[in-house]
Parts: sequence; C-alpha cells; structure tokens
Amino acid sequence: MVERTIGDKRLRMVRGDITEIDVEAFVFDITENAKLGSGFGGAIQQRGGIAIQKELDEIGSVPTGEAVVTQAGILKADYIIHVNGPKFREEDEKHKLESVVKSALARAEEKGVKRVAFPPIGTGMYQVPLDLCANVMVDTISRHLANGSNLDEVLIVVRDPREITPFEAKFKEGV
Amino acid sequence: MSKPAKTHKIKMMEEQLAKKLNRQVVGSLVGCVHCGMCNDCCHYVLTHPDDPKMTPSYKADQVRKLFKANHDWTGSVFPWWVGADKVPLTDDDLDTLKDIAFGTCTNCRRCTINCPMGVDTATLNRIMRGLLTNVGVMPEGVRVVSKDQWELGNQMGVLKEDYIDTLEWMSEELEEELGHGGAAIPLDKTGAKVMYAINPREVKYDPRTIKEAALIFWAAGENWTMPSEGWDNTNFGLFSGDDGLGGACAKREYDKARELGVDKIVISECGHGYRSTRHEGVNWSGEAEPFPMESSVMTMLRYIKEGKLVVDPTKNNQRVTFHDSCNNARSCGFYEEPRELLRLVTTDFQEMVPNRAEGFCCTGGGGAMSMSEYTPRRLKSGEIKANQIRATGAEVVVTSCHNCVDGLGDVIKHYGLGCEVKQLVDLVANALVIDECAVMKNRPAGAPRPEPPVVPAAESDVAAARVAAVAQPLAGRRILVVDDEEDIRTFLVTVFEDAGAEVMEAADGDECIERAATFKPDLISLDLSMPGKSGVDAFVELRKTPGIQEIPVCVVTGHPEFRQVIYDRPVPAPEGYLNKPVDEGKLVSYVAHIIEIRDERAN
Repeated sequence: MVERTIGDKRLRMVRGDITEIDVEAFVFDITENAKLGSGFGGAIQQRGGIAIQKELDEIGSVPTGEAVVTQAGILKADYIIHVNGPKFREEDEKHKLESVVKSALARAEEKGVKRVAFPPIGTGMYQVPLDLCANVMVDTISRHLANGSNLDEVLIVVRDPREITPFEAKFKEGV
Repeated sequence: MSKPAKTHKIKMMEEQLAKKLNRQVVGSLVGCVHCGMCNDCCHYVLTHPDDPKMTPSYKADQVRKLFKANHDWTGSVFPWWVGADKVPLTDDDLDTLKDIAFGTCTNCRRCTINCPMGVDTATLNRIMRGLLTNVGVMPEGVRVVSKDQWELGNQMGVLKEDYIDTLEWMSEELEEELGHGGAAIPLDKTGAKVMYAINPREVKYDPRTIKEAALIFWAAGENWTMPSEGWDNTNFGLFSGDDGLGGACAKREYDKARELGVDKIVISECGHGYRSTRHEGVNWSGEAEPFPMESSVMTMLRYIKEGKLVVDPTKNNQRVTFHDSCNNARSCGFYEEPRELLRLVTTDFQEMVPNRAEGFCCTGGGGAMSMSEYTPRRLKSGEIKANQIRATGAEVVVTSCHNCVDGLGDVIKHYGLGCEVKQLVDLVANALVIDECAVMKNRPAGAPRPEPPVVPAAESDVAAARVAAVAQPLAGRRILVVDDEEDIRTFLVTVFEDAGAEVMEAADGDECIERAATFKPDLISLDLSMPGKSGVDAFVELRKTPGIQEIPVCVVTGHPEFRQVIYDRPVPAPEGYLNKPVDEGKLVSYVAHIIEIRDERAN
C-alpha cells in the first residue's frame, strides 16, 4: 500500500491478517503469562496448532517490554516473535512500545530472518493511541533498518482504514 | 489516617470521564433526586429485595461520585454530601466497581424510561464499564470477546475460512432441500441491493438461521449478498463501554457495504446488533452520511406486504408469545413490526404482560452471557421473566435477538418452563408457501418449475454413495459420548449409531479422559454437568493432554452456568456447543460438519 525505502531495505504497510502473511517471522502482542488467548492468539492456535502454546508454556512468561521466539507450527511463517507490549494506558507507554519493537527486531536478527511482519502493537483492545503507535513503530523500525540490519524488509500489517490512516500519514512524512 | 494516593489507573479513569461528558450525560449525573422510582423497574432489585446495592441509583452513583469530585462545584463545597469524598482510590476499589457495573446491571434501560427526572442510568453504567475497560479492569469473558472482535472482526473468534465454509455448507443444504441450483448464498456480490450482516453465534452455534434467511431472500427474489468481511452485526463495544471498539466494528460493516455498492444493509435478528449498527455505530464511527439500514424483521414484513413472500400461518400452530429485546424495543422504539409479522405467520399469539417498553430483560442483555462468574445472580434475576412466560401458556417464546435466545433458553431451563425459543426467521421460513412466492411467480414465462437435479445413469455409483453418505453421514467415524445420565447417553448413542458411527460411552470426566486416550475418537460429545470430575474440568484436561488435545469436542449441555468454556477460554474453545434438548438432525449434521472441518485442516 505505502512503503519507505531505507538504503537497500524496505518498510512497507500492507493490509491483511498477520497470522496468514507469507513472511519468515511475525510479531504477536502477548500477555505476561505467555498465553495466546483470543483474537490473533486464537487464530494462531486454530491455524498453527497446539505446539505454539506448548512451547510458550515451557517459556513461562514474557516480561513487559521484552520478546521471546517460538516456532510457528503449521502457519506460513517459521517463527512467531511474542512481545509483551504496553497495555491499558499503563505508565510510560511510549518507551515500553519502543522497547518491544527493538526487542522484536533483535530477536528477528538473531534468528537470521530477512522479512518480518508487525501488527500495530496494542492499538486495539489495549488502548495504545494509533498516532503514538504509528510514530514510535515507524521511527524505531526505520532507525533499525538504517543501522546495519540484516533484515531486507519489515511489514506493518494493518486491518482496516482506522489503522491505515495514521500509518499512511506517518509513512508520507518521509525519513 | 491519611487517604492513599490515587493510583495511575484511577487517574486515567478520571481523565477518560472528562472526555465522556456531554449534555445528556451531565443531565443524568446531576438530575437524580434518589426518589427510588427506579427500584421497582429493575429485575435485579425485584429478585434481590434485601440488597440495596442492586438499586439503579446506587449503580449510577458510582460514576456520579467521580463526576462530583472532579467536575461539579458540589463536590468541592460539600463533598461529604454528594459522595465526592468516597471516590475509588486504589486498584482494589476497581474490582468492586467491576462487579457492580458488569454483574448487577444488563443495561436494559427499564429504569431509564421510568425515571421521572429522565436520568439515563444505563448510559451511566455503560460509561463506568468504559472507564474500567480502558484501564484493563473487566470480566475475563469480556476481555476474550472484545479481543476477538478487535482483532478478528467478530466477537466469537470465527476465522474467515470457517465463516465462508459455513456459508457454503448452508448453501449446499439449502440447494439439496430445494432441489434448485440457484439458491446458493452469494458472497461478495458487487451491485447486489442488499448486504446481509449476521451475528457470529449463527455461524458458530446456529447456522440453521443463515439457511432460513437465505431461503427467504431466495424466495422473495431478492438481489442480495453476504460479505466476506464486515459481516458481524454485533458490537461488544456497546457492552464493554469501549466506544473505540464500537466505532471500529460499525465502520467495518459500512465500509464493506460501500465497497460492494449495495443499496442497504439488512441486519439479522440481533437486538444489540441492530442498535449498534443502525444507531450507535453511526456516532461512534463518526459517519457523516449514515448508510441505509434495516432490521431483517422489517425486510421480512415488507416482502410479505409486497406479495414477494406468501405465508401460511397454520404451519406454525403452536401457542407463541413474544419477548421484546431491550435494545430493539426500549432503545430503538421497535415494538409493532415484530408483532405484525408474528400475527401473519402464526395462529395463536398470546401477548406477554408487561410488554413493549415495559417488558423485562431476558437476563442475557449487556453482554451478560459472556460473564459466567455472575451466572447464578443472573439466573435468579430471571424469575420475573420466567413468571411472565409461564403465565402465557406458550409453547414457543419468540424473540428477535440472539442474546435473548440464549438468555431465555437459560431461564426456561432453570425454571423448568418446558418451552422452546425461536426467532421470527424460523417462523417465516417455516410458513413459506414456496410455489406462490416471487421466485416462482416471476420466473420467465414457460420456464418449468425447478426440479431436483437428475443424476445421470453413469454416475449411479457416485449417486448411490452420495445417498449412503446422506443416510449415514457419520459412517466410519468414532464418537465418544460423555454424559452421566443414562437415558441421555442412550439417546445420543442411538442417534450417532443410526448415523453410522462407532460409539463408545463414558459416564464421567475421568472415564472421558481415559477412553479418549484408548478409543481415539474423531469427536467427543461432552456433557458439562456431571458428578465427580465435571465436564468443564474434563474439557480443560482434554485440551492440555498430549495425544488427545486435538480431538474435536462438541459440548451438549443443559446447564448454562458452564458457558465459560465458550467465553473465558483458558484453553482453545470447543468446536461445537449445543443446548439440550437437542434435535437429532441438527446434532448429526453439526457433528459431521465439525469432523469434516477437522479432516480438511489435517490435510
């Protein structure tokens, strides 16, 4: 839909269902107790199988601002990067959001993947404001891609016009 | 002793309250004179007469105190008088508020219309819910359902492929029943006149209503479609108080309707779906030019009046009564159309008393069906509705709302009323005289009446196999029937064996786990209320035990208090959920479909 080029890297916004995107890894916003739960978590369980939750049960928990990696079961992706992003208007949500985006990118680099997809983290039920999310995510990912990343492409996967509008505006600001 | 400092969550709630203050809200916040008129209007008060915390004014006072303390001069001058010195300060206080806002009110608005001061207590209660959900304080079921609707676009976590598969399944059944190849449900048909939006409960637990609606649109000769996205007419934002979710849900429907270029959205029989889509969603989503929308009740009534549908009321000759959905009736003024339609398609309609604006809640409103922790209180509050229904002598309670179907179903079981719940779509579909409907009358001159497809002789083996498959849809399948009541086990075993399945029985949760591991069934039919290890515990253990955790489970229960297996979901939800008494045909086709889906996924 819209994209930004950073050297030979690309940051792109696409519309779709992140659990069905054809990438090597995608990011899922999980709760501290490492339970997939409902929403995208339910889709991951239904489409990807039970192995993913089982692996998370062994991990046990995901502290706020951090990220862990599991296999992606029978989904198209190879890995799921589970981040515990800011939830329900908690304090300092901007820095927590920045921290989870950085953590997710670091896990992606560790796994050697070339394409990773992010949802707008926390902007639905968890009440993170969309403008804040667009600013933090696009800036943080752009900086990461500009500083020696091995990733080729990062996707931001949006669902509907409510999410498209603020991200599109941010993309159009330019680097 | 000094008071504790306000927590971050409390500060966020106060900040949020400021954004919700408009003339209507402030009028309700300052207007209450605590006269007590609302007490006799509330089904919670009437069934809990010794508990003053059930009074509507007490519930509304929880928001009122926050308002007085932060926005009203009375809170500054005499805070002790207006409760401004008793505002919540700690996160523990929020749990108490959660139980009041979610567990003692279904936002039915009966108190609202009876208030001499015009105080809209239901709106204030919804505001309190919104303040709480904004900081993450809500019943687990509300959290689960809200997240499903935010992220998957529907409140029951139905995946797109399952939704489309269900439409195809219903299309096949309808065409087989009609022997007509043109009755399939159109999906994403651009340029159709009508886009039909439904409740996900129809996909997940009662697809028969989709088939009936498809039959009605087909018989009326309507140019209609169902959308692949934006198909959920329900809106948990109305219940959780989250206006953001409310706007997002509604906008998905409006955007899809515009993309398809339809003339109008027809909303299936769902009370809160109608209110949210037709009225509230327009404001929540900031729609400048609201899209034309109507309830399917109006659509069906219009088809009959225009002669597109011809009905025979003698096909529905049981005594029926009508329950007004709170959202359709009190909130949308939608009283007479369902009654007019009901009189056209039934022969013995007995009005419930009181009714229309004064009718009592089914107990399932305001998202109550998803909050299993409050089920005992909810069922106790249903005594009034049970008495109302009993007095009519009705065999069938008709309602135009899916929440009411579940709420009334629970009340009927709990109070042993022995009647069933139907929607108008069921009755209209059953009353149709197909040969006289528009689809037959308007076919081109000389065109023959559609007949069942003739199977060529060369395909006789295939045809024979198909006949066998229809006769024994569970041939070659293994089913474990788990129920502590022997007569019900015998019934289920007979139904499944007649459908061709190999069946094993278990009488409790322990036997269920043990036999699931040894018998390796294709599906488990699971009762939830059993002595010893309950069905809920057995279900959770099944889902967590390697080797048996992927076996599909169809819950068959007569006990609504175990609804948390659908909504709270500590583990993946059951693949099916049926209420007792269960219809044989529905049970077999439902179970066969669950197994088919499992097979498709495995392949």
